[in-house]
Amino acid sequence: MTELEKASAAVSDEAVIRIENLQKAFDDNVVLRDINLEVRRGEVVVVLGPSGSGKSTMLRCINLLETPTGGRIYFEDTEITAKKVNINEVRARVGMVFQNFNLFPHLSAKKNVMLAQQKVLKRSKEEAEQVAIARLTEVGLAERMDYMPSQLSGGQQQRVAIARALAMDPHVMLFDEATSALDPELVRDVLNVMKNLAHGGMTMIVVTHEMGFARDVADRVILMDGGVIVEEGTPEQVFDNPQHARTKDFLGHIK
Amino acid sequence: MAVWLPNCLTADAIHARAGHQFAPPSPGKDVTVTRLADIFLKAALAAMLMMGSCALLVLALPMDARALETAKCTARPNGESGSDVYGGKETRITWEGLAGTEEPVAALSLTLPPGTTFSTDDARVTMLSGENNMDRTVIDAEVSAEGETFTAKFPEPAPAGGYFRIELYQVFFPADGGPMPITGSYVLDNGTELPFDAGAVQTIGISATAQLAESLEAQEWVQAWNSNKFLRLFFNPPIIVESIPIVFQGFLLAIAIVAVSFPCAIPLGLLLALMRMSKIAILRGIASVYVNIVRGTPLFLQIYIAFFGLPLAGISIPPFVLGFVVLSMNSAAYMCEIMRAGIQSIPGGQTEAARSLGMNGAQTMIFVIIPQTIRRVIPTLTSEFILLYKDTSMLAAVGVMEMVYNAKMIVANTGSITPYIVAALFYLVITLPLAKVVGNLERRLDGVMPKKKRKQVAEQTIEDAS
Repeated sequence: MTELEKASAAVSDEAVIRIENLQKAFDDNVVLRDINLEVRRGEVVVVLGPSGSGKSTMLRCINLLETPTGGRIYFEDTEITAKKVNINEVRARVGMVFQNFNLFPHLSAKKNVMLAQQKVLKRSKEEAEQVAIARLTEVGLAERMDYMPSQLSGGQQQRVAIARALAMDPHVMLFDEATSALDPELVRDVLNVMKNLAHGGMTMIVVTHEMGFARDVADRVILMDGGVIVEEGTPEQVFDNPQHARTKDFLGHIK
Repeated sequence: MAVWLPNCLTADAIHARAGHQFAPPSPGKDVTVTRLADIFLKAALAAMLMMGSCALLVLALPMDARALETAKCTARPNGESGSDVYGGKETRITWEGLAGTEEPVAALSLTLPPGTTFSTDDARVTMLSGENNMDRTVIDAEVSAEGETFTAKFPEPAPAGGYFRIELYQVFFPADGGPMPITGSYVLDNGTELPFDAGAVQTIGISATAQLAESLEAQEWVQAWNSNKFLRLFFNPPIIVESIPIVFQGFLLAIAIVAVSFPCAIPLGLLLALMRMSKIAILRGIASVYVNIVRGTPLFLQIYIAFFGLPLAGISIPPFVLGFVVLSMNSAAYMCEIMRAGIQSIPGGQTEAARSLGMNGAQTMIFVIIPQTIRRVIPTLTSEFILLYKDTSMLAAVGVMEMVYNAKMIVANTGSITPYIVAALFYLVITLPLAKVVGNLERRLDGVMPKKKRKQVAEQTIEDAS
């Protein structure tokens, strides 16, 4: 199944995200030094690296949860780091999944998925509900739609969070260590959802420590360390034939 | 005697008018009746003139044929102060009357208004004579009571023209109050029974609770209870009963003030909280100055400034309204800090998640942050409600008739602290259950779920595992 679908979800030449000379510093602490990256439509990019290497910060810069201190980021044809950009429009098209799920605890699973559709995309309640039901069914939670987040397991919560982001019809999905906070037995469900998404042709940037996922699903693997991209290539190149000592060191630790 | 003359005139005049009023409609007869009435009126006038001359005669000669008449009819005041006679409370009636000079009275009776009770014990009939009626002879009369009628039969007829005094004890007029006319009759030595007007006592009605208090006061256990100084001062049963309705009025007012102030203070506090967290320095400054001043000064002083300052400045606001304004403005400052702490306690991830979905700042605040904040601050808000409710007592100082004020009034009248205890109970009626609610809410927020929900989640976890 994977081989077939992977083949069908062809990567186009069109860039969805283009990062040029991105820099980010928190006061004197420079987190991102000079990042250049292009992510094409349908591509799955997995970002690896030790903690503190700047992976999450880079992801958060892409939907402007962090304001870059230098460089440019383009989303499709728009420079989102420009001053006059409507950030909210961009964010609605860039889905983000967090390590801690961040579901709205006062709303049921279904309402979590409906809220932004109604408020941002101005969808009617009925339409938003239809989309919510469809997305929750996709992530395997058709039976848990009316549960409150506190009544769901971590894996279920994360899948609701994915459905919530998908309901906005994003052009790209950012996964920020989406499985790191989960118990090992719950990781599989979430990864399966992510795999299905990838096979469905979704453009994804995935920050993760799941080497298996990176190997199976990624079109490209990036290794970051100290605020720069150290190594970049196909999973085979990076895992089986790493060029840099840093990469070898990192992979050695993981294994 | 001077009173007696016009009385006579009025009575006859009324008769005359009545005769006219009830005349049949036929014109012929009407004329006759009118003429009759005229004659009657003339007769009455003649009678009056005649009696007037009689009166003059009386003044000149003490020997005449007039009937027994009432000289005095009073009841002892039985209120806390003043000269008021209350219905439903024990009093004593003193009646005095002068018999006609040719009337040797053998028996006297007084009929009190329906619903009046009295005791024949200690009832006393005295005959006064001599200069200025200074010689007093107690008549060893045979007293009896039948319904509302008190009768005293003299062992032997009193000398004609006697001046009598009747004292009737343990009299309870009906509780609703009003004028209490007393009629009487007397029997002469020859057995003739004649009626007379014994005057009237004006009484004031008292409430059911005052009656209850009255009856409690008479009970033995209450007297035993009150013989203990501590119990009498703090837990005096009749005063408890009397205080309840009056303090209850204040209770309603306090509830009304809080019921208006509290809902006003919440949005005001929220607004201040949002201002304090605003990016705009001026808004932040205004809110923080306001909050610091209000929280840094006593509410008591704020009430004084508002209640005495505004009228001097020419702004007159009814006390209830001003009380509510001052309390809501005061409470808003505290709520601002509660809300701010609540908003800041919501994890940053919530804002990030909402913003990452494209929601703007206002949408994030309204649909994501504030609903969660409200849930979180409900226990603290309930505590604030309790504080606000208790703070209404400070309005007593400026004459708002809430609980403490009303209690103070009774304390001033009775010298007992009991009304304050009653007021305390009225506060506790609200604060104790609410404090319990706060406790439950806090426990739930700490993660202890109510039993039902716990069970539900447990079942579901089992379901998931299988």
